[in-house]
Amino acid sequence: MGSEGQIPEWASTPCIMGIDEAGRGPVLGPMVYGCLYCPVSYKETLSTLEFADSKTLKEEKREELFESLKTDATIGWAVDVIDPRELSAKMLQKNKINLNEISHESAMGLVKRVLDMGYLLTEVYVDTVGDPEKYTVKLSARFPSIKFVVAKKADSLYPVVSGASIVAKVTRDRALRNWNFDETAENMHREFGSGYPGDPGTKDWLEHHKHSVFGFPSLVRFSWGTCNSYFKDGVEVLWEADVEDEDESSSKTGKRQLKLSSLGFTGMKRKSEDIESSGKGRCKFFESRKLEQLTRF
Amino acid sequence: MGGGSATRETGTINLAGAKSSSAVDLTDQIHHLPCCIKYDGPSPVSHYFKPKPTGVELDGLNVKEAYFRGRKLQGTTVPLPDGYSGFVIGKKPSGKRKASKDDVGTTASWEMNAKFQNITFWNHDNLPSKEDAFLRAFHWFDVAKALHKPVTNEDMKSASKFEATTTD
Repeated sequence: MGSEGQIPEWASTPCIMGIDEAGRGPVLGPMVYGCLYCPVSYKETLSTLEFADSKTLKEEKREELFESLKTDATIGWAVDVIDPRELSAKMLQKNKINLNEISHESAMGLVKRVLDMGYLLTEVYVDTVGDPEKYTVKLSARFPSIKFVVAKKADSLYPVVSGASIVAKVTRDRALRNWNFDETAENMHREFGSGYPGDPGTKDWLEHHKHSVFGFPSLVRFSWGTCNSYFKDGVEVLWEADVEDEDESSSKTGKRQLKLSSLGFTGMKRKSEDIESSGKGRCKFFESRKLEQLTRF
Repeated sequence: MGGGSATRETGTINLAGAKSSSAVDLTDQIHHLPCCIKYDGPSPVSHYFKPKPTGVELDGLNVKEAYFRGRKLQGTTVPLPDGYSGFVIGKKPSGKRKASKDDVGTTASWEMNAKFQNITFWNHDNLPSKEDAFLRAFHWFDVAKALHKPVTNEDMKSASKFEATTTD
């Protein structure tokens, strides 16, 4: 999502851009990266537009500012909405990607998108994620022609970042308000609270929507530590992507058990972790196809 | 190799119900997940587990995606070959008669609760492929057929011919 229509003439003049995020901390809903860009010559005007850190503004005011900046022909904007499913999946896959990396990629994706549209970006202001110096190096390496200013609280220091934070925050709020559940379980509702783990409204929502087998609806970021406390009384689920390290340390005993069970000696109750068929100890044909002979079940 | 003092167990599996049309058909509802769920019992699967087509085709397999416990799963639905069916079997509650009948061994009796003609298998992190052990297991169907096919006179002839030429 972003500005539509023809590329304005000012695109080929040096431009500045601000980048900020909304919904990084919450345990549910999408994380949104937003950017706002304009000609360098518009910098002065920008500081008169009463943009301020989106968190200090009331929701109605943010909505109003977003609508007015959308109609400003000298301002462009774009957002990257990262679905909670994508956040959870990336953070829980075998090669885990942490939230900082996802954030960096999203910000760089916005820079690339605006450059590709034909805007001459010369200065980009970014609210930092992680160490500002390392982040600057990373950004400069990817986009050598751009001067990056990475700072803590950039949203309150630079109006162009304040604008970006409004774009991001309004987009995130709307996405949550209009969230369509993939799940069709009964009695689901959208009283999420702020989405922050400490918010009593969010806690109530999580408590009400947890399920012993499925965990939560996919609106929730399963990779957040908060979720674990809700899973305590739920059904345990084991993944290969998680247990690999443990396996290595206990491989000796593990192997022995597998061999015994595939020869049909143990017959005892198998640990449910071993329940996957293995074919270990049989001829190659069966072993590579994990085909095990089962005489007892 | 002997099993030492392992007690002999016998059991029966009654698939007779398979022929009757009243058998519950779970085709399109059997999923093989790449994780261990420490739970046995009913669950509202269709309300939470929502596979979607991705439009991607790989090795002739239509790739689907779904999410479970925050993990992204990629899978595909494969039909069981002609002449094969999948069965869900359950232990038959043993009647009083059977229990008192003999003490020699335990007799387990199983009966079919449902059947299915396809299965959807899911990978975590990887796209489904013909090289997945799960699909490769299907090779056994052909091997089993070849192994158990009755040997005809012609088979014998051609086999002895083959032997003759190789030993020459």
